[in-house]
This record gives sequence, C-alpha cells and structure tokens, in this order.
Amino acid sequence: MGPMNRLVVAVFLALLLFAAPAQAAPRVAALTPFSASTITRLGVRPVVVGQTLGGTDQYLASLKGVPVLTLTHPLGPNMEQLATYNPSIVLSSKTWQRGSAPMRRLGMKVYESDPTSVAAVGRETRAIGKLLGRTRAANSLATKIENDVRAAQQGIKRRLRVLLILGVGRTPYAMLANSWGGDVVAKAGGQLLTNGLTAPSGIVRISDEIVVQRNPDIIIAVPHGNPGAISKLAKYYASNPNWRNTKAVKNKRVYVATGNQLLQPYPGVAATIRSVRAKFLKNY
Amino acid sequence: MVVTATVALLAAATASMILGAVHVPFSDIWQSLTGQAEEGPLRQIVVELRLPRTVSAIVVGAALGVAGALLQGALANPLASPDVIGVTGGAGFGAMLTLLVWPSAIALLPVGALVFGVTAAGIVFLIGWSGAHAGAIGRVILAGIAITALFSAATTSLMVAYSDRVQSAIFWIAGGLSSDGWSSLSVVWPYFSVGFVMAIFLARPLDRLALGDDVAASLGGRPRLVRLAAAAAAALLASSAAAIAGLLGFLGLVIPHLVRLAGGTASHRFVIPASALTGAALLVAADTLARVVLAPIELPVGPLMVVLGVPLFLWLLREAV
Repeated sequence: MGPMNRLVVAVFLALLLFAAPAQAAPRVAALTPFSASTITRLGVRPVVVGQTLGGTDQYLASLKGVPVLTLTHPLGPNMEQLATYNPSIVLSSKTWQRGSAPMRRLGMKVYESDPTSVAAVGRETRAIGKLLGRTRAANSLATKIENDVRAAQQGIKRRLRVLLILGVGRTPYAMLANSWGGDVVAKAGGQLLTNGLTAPSGIVRISDEIVVQRNPDIIIAVPHGNPGAISKLAKYYASNPNWRNTKAVKNKRVYVATGNQLLQPYPGVAATIRSVRAKFLKNY
Repeated sequence: MVVTATVALLAAATASMILGAVHVPFSDIWQSLTGQAEEGPLRQIVVELRLPRTVSAIVVGAALGVAGALLQGALANPLASPDVIGVTGGAGFGAMLTLLVWPSAIALLPVGALVFGVTAAGIVFLIGWSGAHAGAIGRVILAGIAITALFSAATTSLMVAYSDRVQSAIFWIAGGLSSDGWSSLSVVWPYFSVGFVMAIFLARPLDRLALGDDVAASLGGRPRLVRLAAAAAAALLASSAAAIAGLLGFLGLVIPHLVRLAGGTASHRFVIPASALTGAALLVAADTLARVVLAPIELPVGPLMVVLGVPLFLWLLREAV
C-alpha cells in the first residue's frame, strides 16, 4: 500500500472513529435544587427538575425552560409524571426516600443527595460527578467550591452568639449545628446558642429559658413566608415578650431571612456565607 | 380520690415551678413569686415563663378533663371525647390555616383554632339537633364523625399543599404548651370561664339524664336541652384548650374513665370536679417532664402524656374488671 493509500485508509478510519455515535448523555431528573444546580454546572442539562420549595432566589437562570415536577406527592414526584420524562438517573433526596424503590422498579438509577453540611457539598459534588461520568469536571468544581468557602471565611473578627430559628411560633424551633442553616451560620462566624446540641432532624424546639439565660447577640428567623411579609414578621419576632431582654432585641439585631439560602444547600454556598456575614453577622 | 388528685396537682405544679432547662435556686423562685426578686434573667424565667406555663397547663388539663366528662355524660357514650363533636378536627384546621397558609398572621393562631373548633362543633349541633330524631345520640355522633372527617381531610390537603412548611406545624399537632406568657390565655379565658360555669350547673341535670331520657323528663328535666348545653360547654372548653395547647384529645377521652374507675362512682357531681383536678395534674406533670427530660430540647407533651396516662388507666381497668 502506497503512502497515498495509507493516508486514505487513515483518514477513513479517523472518520469512522469520529462518526461513531457519541456516548449518549444520561437523562437526569434532578429533584433537589442542589442536584439541579450541580449537574448544570457539570455540563448536564436535566430533563426535568423538582419544584423548588421555599423560594427561587438561588435558582440558576440556565435552568429556565426545564420542565418542573411538583413534589407534594408522598413519594416525591408523581411516578407517572416522572416516567413520562424517561430519566435514566434520578437525583433525589432522603426526604423523598419512599419514592426511591418505585423509581428503581421503573428502571431508574436513584441517588439520594442533599447535603446538610457545608463540608458535604464538595463530597456530594464529586459523588454526582462520578455517577454521571463527569469525574474530572466534578473534582474541579468541588475543589473550587471548597476554596471559595475557605476564602469566604477569611477575616472573621468576632464570633457573636446566634439563635437561628425556623418557622413561626412563639417557642423557638432552633436550627442546630447539624442542620444546613446552622452549619452555614457557624461557618460564617456565628456561635450557635445551642452550642454542640444536635438532633436527627437538625431542628428541635428548645426552651425559652435557655434563650433568656444564654442571651443571644443576634436572632435570625427563617420563616416560611413571602418576602413581602418580612417587616411584619420581623416585628412579630422582635415583640416576643420572652426575648425582650436579650441583646439581640435591645440592639435591634433580630433578622428575618426569607428565600431558601439557609434552608437548602446549593453549590454557591460560599456566596451564602458571605451574604450571612454581610447582612446578619456583620463580622467583616 | 379528690384529695389524692388535689395533692397530685399541687405536687405537679410545684415541680413545674422548680424544674426547667435552667436551674433556678428555690430561694430565687420564692422571691420571684413574692415580688421580692430583682429584675434579671432568673426572675424573668420564673415569673414570665414558668408561672404562666404552669397556670396554662392547669387550665387546659382541667378543661379537657371536664369536656370529656360532659360529653360522655351527655351522649351516654364511653368513647365520647372532643373528637366526636368535631372540635379537634375544626381546631386543627384553624391552626394549620394560620401556620401553613398565613404564617405572617401567626399571632392569630389561638383565635383561628378557637373559631374553627367552635364552628365545627356548631355545624355538628346544627345537623344533630335538626330534622327527624333531632338530638338523638346516634345522630349527633354520626354528624360529629362526618364533620371531623371533613376538617381532617382539609387539614391533610393543606399539609400536602404546603409540605415545605409542615415542620413548624408538627409540634402543634403533637400537642404541647408554649412559653408565650399570658398572651394565649388572655385571649381565651372568657370561653374557659363560660365553659367551667356551665359545667358546674350541668352536673345535676347530667346525673338525671344518666337515668334515661324518659326518667329525666319525668323528673322535670329537658333531656335534649341538657345534652345540647353539655355539648356546647364541652365544645367551648375543648376549643379553648386546643387554642393554647394544640391537639391533646387523649385527656378528654381517658380522664373521666380514670376518675370513675378510681372513685367508684359515675355521679357527675363527683366526676366533673375530679376530672378537672386529675386532668390538670396529669398535664402539668407531663409538661414538666417534656421540658426537663432532654433539656434544653422540649418534647411534645401529647406522646408523653399518653406514656404517663395509659399504664395508669390500664392498671385501673384491670383492677375494675
């Protein structure tokens, strides 16, 4: 075979190689805002996403147009609706654990991922990347997130005592160190009033006696309400007669955090930490 | 029995004032209660947190005990409790409406529970006391079951629709007192008062009713009116209790039985006051335990009260048999 012929064969083989069908991108249903955000950053567009509960302030603009599944069904999404999108992988959460077995029966690969700590964001990003065959991109993204988190924690001057509460009601439902919001506030330099107290759900009702005794510098309330109700809710929390002698109330440092940055994990956690420091802790 | 219940109530109330998430020396408690303590966190804990909470537990426990006694007497049914006349279902719906749909109007929570509890009972009474066989026990109970199912379904629908907000509503459903000072009690005390006063005047007519409608009528009583008045008083008491402490239906069902078994008499002149004392003692004791067992975490009172009350009830039931 002459050199010309060899060249033709080589070109032909190369064409064959490139013309071979590329490995099909997995069809992913991302039920949590964290997984939807993460896979988008890894270059995978989900075929369907779960409804974002508690606000869309951190929702990626690039996810606009992706169909949304309602998640009020006890199993998570309605199985018939989910099946119509024919996902090969479902990124779900422990919250919707009851739905995992039916999804597997439908031939879907299910991974439950919903970090409850800042440290778990990088870990979960790598795990999702591995699942999607995007290991290198996931490692790179996870490292960037971890570096950003470290940078966001720089220069914390003082650690003020913080009571972080969820929902509405006269008796505080405290978010503990092992809740997402509690860990974010701790990483932002807050010293949680509940100290090292933990509970399986990360949220417990605590005694007002402890609030009076430990006297928080700052109270951050994360209600389930609309942004329009912030001032009304702030007034309500500040008027709690049991808290009137706390430094937080006396110094007018009772804050209401709407949106879901303290409720749900996102890859952009570094920005959340910076926001908590700037808006609530003021510890730059 | 009345003496035992009184002693148990005093002991539980004392424990409730002494024990809590924060250790307060007895001398400080005494000085705070007698107005000799200086302003400070300890005084605030005793006077503004523990005292109103103990008083609320006494009033709510007594109200639920009396409500159960009135209903079981009026409907001549041992399974009667505030659930049967729709109060629990209505109050639960009213509270969920505030907690889940309008959380910014949280201050209206006691009012919502009270209004919907009374409304649900009102619908039951309207159905039960109208048409053919008006005021018949079976008709009232069936109307109660239907209305309770209706409000329970509406509550469940709200919880599904607002599943991201359910967390803050769970504690209310489980039942429990909160340290909100006198604010809730100040809203509902008139309804408690009316309910308790009606209960006092209904004791004797209910005893006559226990002999049967015909006998009661021959003694000059008006059975249907007595039944309606007793159910209305029970509805007021149970709705007011739900407004403060959420859903604690167990007390209303079990306390009157416990009192009858321990006292050996079913006379309402005994059962009503003894149910008030026993219900108060049990709720105060359970609330104290809920505050101290895992302090500073507060446990829901409902399950704890069941843990305390059921063994005692079953023991009495076994002894009686």
